[in-house]
Amino acid sequence: MRDFEAYNPITQFFYFAAVLIIGMFSVNPVILGLSLFGACALLFFGKVRISKGNCLFFVAMSLLPILLNPLFDHHGDTILFVLNDNPVTLEAVLYGIASGVMILASLLWLKAFSAVMTSDRLLYLFSAVSPKLALLLSMTLRYIPLFAAQTGKVQAAQKAIGLYKEDNVIDGVKGGARVFSVMVTWALENGIITADSMEARGYGIGRRTSFAIYRFRKKDVIFLLFSAVLFGLSLYAVITGGYQFDYYPTVGTVSASPVSVIGFVAFGLLSILPSAILLFEDIRWKYYQSKI
Amino acid sequence: MTIKSEGLRKTLKIVIPAVLIPAVLILGLTVSDTKKAAFLIIAMLLLAGVLFVAGFEQRKTGTRRLILVAVFVALSVAGRFLPLFKPVTALTIIAGIYLGKEAGFLCGSLSAVISNFYYGQGPWTPFQMVAWGLAGFLAGILADPLKRSRVFLLLFGALSGCFFSLVMDVWTVTWAASVFDWDAYLAAFLTALPFTIMYSVSNVVFLLLIAKPFGEKLERVRIKYGI
Amino acid sequence: MEILSVENLSFSYAGASSPALSDVSFSVKEGDFVAVIGATGSGKTTFLRMLKRELQPLGALTGRILYQGQELSTLSPRDSAMKIGYVMQRPEQQIVTDRVWHELAFGLENLGMPQEQIRRRVAEMASYFGIEGWFLKNVSELSGGQKQLLNLASVMVMKPDILLLDEPTAQLDPIAARDFLETVAALNRDLSLTVIIIEHRLEEVIPVAHKILALKDGRVFAAGEAHETVKKLREVPEMLVGLPAAVRISAALSKSCCPVGMRVSAAPEENSCPITVREGREWIRSRFGNQVKALPVAPDRFAEADNAVEVKDLYFRYTRDGRDVLNGLSFAVRTGEIFCLLGGNGSGKSTALSVLSGIRRAYAGSVKIFGKKLQEYKNQSLYKECVALLPQDVQTVFLRNSVREELEDAGIVLPDKRQANGRSSLSDLPFDLTGLLDRHPYDLSGGQQQLVALAKVLAGKPKLLLLDEPTKGLDADTKARFLSYLKALQKSGMTLVVVTHDTEFAAEAADRCALLFRGETISTAEPRAFFSGNSFYTTAANRIAQGYYDLAASVNDVVELCRANHPAQNPAQNLTPKTVQNADLKSAGETPEARV
Repeated sequence: MRDFEAYNPITQFFYFAAVLIIGMFSVNPVILGLSLFGACALLFFGKVRISKGNCLFFVAMSLLPILLNPLFDHHGDTILFVLNDNPVTLEAVLYGIASGVMILASLLWLKAFSAVMTSDRLLYLFSAVSPKLALLLSMTLRYIPLFAAQTGKVQAAQKAIGLYKEDNVIDGVKGGARVFSVMVTWALENGIITADSMEARGYGIGRRTSFAIYRFRKKDVIFLLFSAVLFGLSLYAVITGGYQFDYYPTVGTVSASPVSVIGFVAFGLLSILPSAILLFEDIRWKYYQSKI
Repeated sequence: MTIKSEGLRKTLKIVIPAVLIPAVLILGLTVSDTKKAAFLIIAMLLLAGVLFVAGFEQRKTGTRRLILVAVFVALSVAGRFLPLFKPVTALTIIAGIYLGKEAGFLCGSLSAVISNFYYGQGPWTPFQMVAWGLAGFLAGILADPLKRSRVFLLLFGALSGCFFSLVMDVWTVTWAASVFDWDAYLAAFLTALPFTIMYSVSNVVFLLLIAKPFGEKLERVRIKYGI
Repeated sequence: MEILSVENLSFSYAGASSPALSDVSFSVKEGDFVAVIGATGSGKTTFLRMLKRELQPLGALTGRILYQGQELSTLSPRDSAMKIGYVMQRPEQQIVTDRVWHELAFGLENLGMPQEQIRRRVAEMASYFGIEGWFLKNVSELSGGQKQLLNLASVMVMKPDILLLDEPTAQLDPIAARDFLETVAALNRDLSLTVIIIEHRLEEVIPVAHKILALKDGRVFAAGEAHETVKKLREVPEMLVGLPAAVRISAALSKSCCPVGMRVSAAPEENSCPITVREGREWIRSRFGNQVKALPVAPDRFAEADNAVEVKDLYFRYTRDGRDVLNGLSFAVRTGEIFCLLGGNGSGKSTALSVLSGIRRAYAGSVKIFGKKLQEYKNQSLYKECVALLPQDVQTVFLRNSVREELEDAGIVLPDKRQANGRSSLSDLPFDLTGLLDRHPYDLSGGQQQLVALAKVLAGKPKLLLLDEPTKGLDADTKARFLSYLKALQKSGMTLVVVTHDTEFAAEAADRCALLFRGETISTAEPRAFFSGNSFYTTAANRIAQGYYDLAASVNDVVELCRANHPAQNPAQNLTPKTVQNADLKSAGETPEARV
């Protein structure tokens, strides 16, 4: 993911927003396929690890509409069977599957988004909207690992002090509350030191600026231009109905009008843009190394 | 990329509520397909968030108050690591009661954003932000009666548990099922009922255990800090 | 040019009956390195906070504080924030943001500086302080020493003229503390930065200080050029405790602190006052012989005692793939002794303690406590009148809003209640807490917090007390008192295991010391033999005596040895000509009994 991480967070945010918006506005199977493919490619070339828990969640979330849609949606002409006096239609099943794929693709894009948008990148974005909120978030992110570590110390100290029982669930709950109570006091009382440290360094004397280590480089401009054009073309296809695909009353066919084809190509390019960069940089690096 | 000019900020503050929100609504109506509802609701929530943030940015917040809010959010996120306890709602309520409605909203919504750094961001984030944020906001408005009556406080805790669950069910339905209809919502509500009960009970237990000592500690710190 | 001057400054905290500072006058020149010293409660921190407008506490202030001839209160907020930098004690709590680079930029952001300027300053600072390598890191990944260095750098990035430091190394281990103080000294030396520092580690600070300001009960006790002031302070026992080992040795052997009979040497060196180890070595060698190389070895009091703790081949790691933090650790602690575990960071000291106290479990090896295996203590029986641990951070122990509730919570019987049946009572403790009962635990000083925590830990009536870094952040006086309480507990039959970085403390407290390195014990011995065996990891007193005397660990040992080698003590012995010269022959008739 390294070569894509080198871009400015604004570029990255714009890209993910563009892909997600198009991907979520359309149930056209071609778009769904391209979106799913693009997300998978990015996760693969970016070497993003997906945990078992993640996998389970993704599968469960995408199965939900596949199972639910036929049960609640009774439109469509092709009745497969009747359940509790309600018809279950082929169209509803297919639409459910399309929704499932859409959800899966969106979740995978979000997974890639989370892998790229680390907290400090997101903070940078926040600071464009509200520097103060960004600072508050940064302070909180500073406190969380500190509190987590201190919680561990408090648990150990309270155990080894030997004054409290830990025999059953009620004692356990009491123990948890005790640890939490110590943490609250500790955090509140020591917060004053942070406040002093902030004021000693001039917090609150006037308008703040907001520093970021991210620069906006030429490659950001190029990437933004590229993705903006592709996004524009896709959006045009959305608005003019180039991505139109009917499931009801009967499943339609994929349109092959010029607008649709241009739209498909544009979205296809958009969805593989970062993977292409990753792949290209990989090859270039290998080429450079072989020259040495 | 901070918005530097004061004029631009002011314009944004007018443009967003006066133009963007209606625009999103109209767009929502023209795209008659209900399955886009999820997306539109998210957009609405984000815009509301931007509005709130603009207000927060504008007001002067003292260093110590800022620290206290950070401490609250951090505690509620760090508290998710504790076994059995998920103190987010309870802490948000307490923040609202003792630090005011704005702090309550911030505590709730930021807890959602930040804990999702660890548990994963997604379209559910704005829903959690609103559900928790509003609980804190309401607690801020009802601060006086909540401080006075313990029974009311516990009731409020239980209701916020239900409220959180109800909001999250809206998300499940709009996102997962293609059509928002009341049958689906009822189904989602019923499947989530055990969770709802768990939320409410844990809120009540948590408030029962920490509300009073927490209030005392906070009062002391407020005097000590001079807030 | 005086960069800072304080004229007749008096200050009382809001609601306090007596003033915290009275009539303090002091001035600092540009480029001065000033050490502020004094006992706990002498007003050091209040004084330092007075010099930083943003941190001035609430209360009544009279007198004037002038920065560059201008009244401090009339400085613009921007100048006030920028020109005077302040670094506090606790590294963790001073850090505001989550990333190293953001923390460095924080002050400049507050000043409203544009991006490109911030980028330049931050880069420059990071390069100067050697922070580049961890520039992008999350602050929670840094060590304590790195955190404090970051705090220093994020103050320096604002280019202050004056740097105020309030016990900046109190929470650091000795190595990190030395690095930190060296950095501060370099800033002073290379950039002519004015430094005013409160510090307990006078061994390292006094040699580089130009001026010393000694406070006592909120008044200036002594002030002036460093060497002269030390000489003055040497005459005052209560100021002496915290001074460097060489000073204490010379004070004990000079005229004012010991009877006439022990007076050392004649003019012109009579008044000389050694400060560093090197000066101390010279001072002793030029005055005392070394015929008596070592003090008689005291019999081992615990040779016959049963083992209270027996650790055998202990292995422990935090994660499956991590390294073994305990790597075949073995040692034994005998009932009734004070056993000190020493070692650097990452040597496994604290981990060993957490295994002994049952907080963590080793994956191999055995631990026996009073002859019974650790695993056989079921259902918390380990903590029932058996083992208790005083944690490093004593604030982790406090739950309540007052010391009284804290002690009642622990089941300690307070003096105003009369049902003692078997429960421990406040009067059983070797120290007095009655004056603190109605205070909030967080309003107490570090030393007082330590005692309240200790009282709570002792309420479980442990036979084996484990202490993790108990002297961290304590000043010399408090430390000495704490030591006497530990000795009292030992006398009552308790066994104590102390994990510490503090070699001076170990030399005085321990019956035996052990050095840990990478999870195993490298050497175990009684402190004199232990420290004499080390050349670097040892006490200042031992470094002074090394090569000249054997088996000297503490200041007292060195003083004893010097006295034993004094011609007045051993008139019959053949003295080296040099020693004879230096000796005060008039007092040759004095008997050893006279000096008590």
